[in-house]
This record gives sequence, structure tokens and C-alpha cells, in this order.
Amino acid sequence: MTPNMVPEFELDDKVLKALDAVYAAPSEQVTKQAQAKLRRALMAAKGKIVYYGYAPRTRVGPLFVAVNDRGLVALDFGLSEQEFVARVTQRTKATLIRSDDQAAEALKQVQEYLEGKRTTFDLSLDMSRMSEFQRRVLGIALKIPRGKVLTYGDVAKAIGKPQASRAVGQALGRNPVPIVIPCHRVLGSDGSLHGYSGGGGIKTKAWLLQLEGATLPQ
Amino acid sequence: MKPEFDELVERHSGEIFAYVWRMLREAHDAEDCLQETFLRAFRSYERVRAGTNYRAWLYKIATNAARSHWKRRKRSETYTIDLDPELQAGGMSVADRVEKKALLAAVMRAVEELPDQQRAALIMRKYQELSYGEIAAALECTESAARANVYQAVKKLQAKFVLNEGGAR
Repeated sequence: MTPNMVPEFELDDKVLKALDAVYAAPSEQVTKQAQAKLRRALMAAKGKIVYYGYAPRTRVGPLFVAVNDRGLVALDFGLSEQEFVARVTQRTKATLIRSDDQAAEALKQVQEYLEGKRTTFDLSLDMSRMSEFQRRVLGIALKIPRGKVLTYGDVAKAIGKPQASRAVGQALGRNPVPIVIPCHRVLGSDGSLHGYSGGGGIKTKAWLLQLEGATLPQ
Repeated sequence: MKPEFDELVERHSGEIFAYVWRMLREAHDAEDCLQETFLRAFRSYERVRAGTNYRAWLYKIATNAARSHWKRRKRSETYTIDLDPELQAGGMSVADRVEKKALLAAVMRAVEELPDQQRAALIMRKYQELSYGEIAAALECTESAARANVYQAVKKLQAKFVLNEGGAR
């Protein structure tokens, strides 16, 4: 007899009954309980997974984005993949998984922006790991329209802390998603570019402002 | 289009739980194994191509997870008594009870002695009602090897229990 002709499970009745008992299905209650635990475990895991992807050649160098269920978590450019992964891992304490699918939309929009084919972003942002202060500062930066600039002092005033220009500068410097949150639109009170924490430093800042057609104070 | 991962959880977590429950026959191990299976699946879901047989893919992960649980654990026969509702309910003669218990223990021992692949194939075919194609995908073997695994398992059980009119040897 070949396996193809197996009269399946041809066993003595008593043996078959015993086998059925050995392999009896779990009760509905036990199953539901296990499923509930599974759902909780998955929820926990989801918050701890960040997907990333990159575009090797853009106007600002290799560009990386990281996203999770809530939206964009990080963006960086002009660095290596290992550096990006290390930075984001350290900041989020999440497991980073390369996923070109998950990263595709954010990468596409940023590239279009850098090529002058797009003027605004339609991306959700995960700002959950920021302090309340940084969230407010970056919230103001998000509202600066393309082509316009503010000073650190302006932003400090806008959040009701006129004395906090320096802290504002630091909060902007730690912007996890430059370009998308346009911290490059904030300048020193004397109109100087002051600094830029993104790859390429001040040069990139100047280039972005030029791309946006901002008129810089002389 | 790939379904949302949560959809796979909805659709398959019940049967995967029944599968690992049958493989491990212990509630805590089965719960752990269910979680391991879907967490592993979740982490690699990105790399799974659309159009994959997701059910078979989940069984593959579950089989591997159950196998590592199985290895970690000492074989045990302590669960026989809870296995059969008839035994628990009573109402049988002592002789019948003894015979039945002995048979249960013997069958349990017999399936535990089966090679992993054969036991997994038997459970998937007879109790989880997978097609041989799905079993092959889950065990990463050919369809004829999947059939052979089930066949071998049944044959071994037949050989063990044929002499004594189904009585335990």
C-alpha cells in the first residue's frame, strides 16, 4: 500500500477513541482566555516595534525614516544605516525592523519635497516620546509656513516663555524629524542661521531655506 | 493585498491555540506557545509575500515553537486522568475504568514516541483538518512527505495496538 492510498486513521475503535481523548480540543473558555492574553502581548509588542527604511541618494545624502503604528518617529540624513539604527534604538528603546513597505510613504513625500515637487507633508507624527515643552516648541515650528522664518525668541514668545530662547534652541536641535517638522525655519535673533543639527549642518539649513524660497535677512 | 496582521489573529488564533494545545497538552505551555507563535509571526510578517498561505505559514511557526517547548520539557504522563470526560464522570465499572485508563496511557505514550514530524502531521491532518499541501508548507517538506508522515504515524499506532483487540500492550 502506498501512502497515497492511506485509508486514513484506520485504527481500532477503542484506540481511535483514546486518541481522540488524548487530542481533545481545548474548551471555549480556555481558548478565549488564551486569545485575550495573546491580544495583550501583541499590543505591547506593537509599541515596541519601529520600522525603518532609507533612500540611499537624496539631495541631502542617504536619508532614513523610522515609523511605527502612530506615525513618523524619526528622520535623519547624511549618516550610515548603523548610526541611524543605533540612534533611534537608543531614543525609542524599540526593536528596529527594516521595512521598505512601511517606510515607503514617508520616504516618498520627503524625497518629493527635496526635489521641489511637494510643498507640504501629509504624514502623521509620533510625538509621544517628547517632553511637553519640546512638543509645544515643535508644534510652533510646524505652523511656520514654507518660505517664512521665525527667530528662537519668536518661538519662545509664542509658547509664552519669552526668556526661554536657549531652551527653545535646544528643543529644536533635538527635533527627531527634521525637514518634516521644519526646525530649519527658525533662526537666531540676529537673523543668522545659528545652527542645524541635521546632517550637513548649516549648509543644509541654508539649502532648505533656499529651496523654499525664504528671504533671509541680510 | 496582504491582510492586516490583526485579521490573521482573528481568523487563526483559535485553531493555532487548539493545535499547540494538542501538541503540548498543557494549558500554560500552550498559552505561551500561542503568544510566541504570533509574536514571531508579527515580527516577520513584513517579509511574508502577499498570496502566501498564511494559515500554513502560522502552522509552521507554531510547529517550531511547540517543538522547542517540547524539547525543554520532560515527558510526562500525568495528564491522562483529566483527558477523558467518561473517566472523570465515573459510572463505569472498576475493570472498565482500569482498562480505559491503561489504554489512554498507552496511546499517549505511543504518540509521544512518534517522531516530531509524524506527530505534528497526524494532529494537523486528523484534528486540525489541514490539507496535505498546507501540512507540507507547515513542515517545510513535500506533499508526499507530508502524506508519508501521517501514514507512518497511523501505521505505528496500528502496529502497537493490533495484537490485543485495542488493549494496551
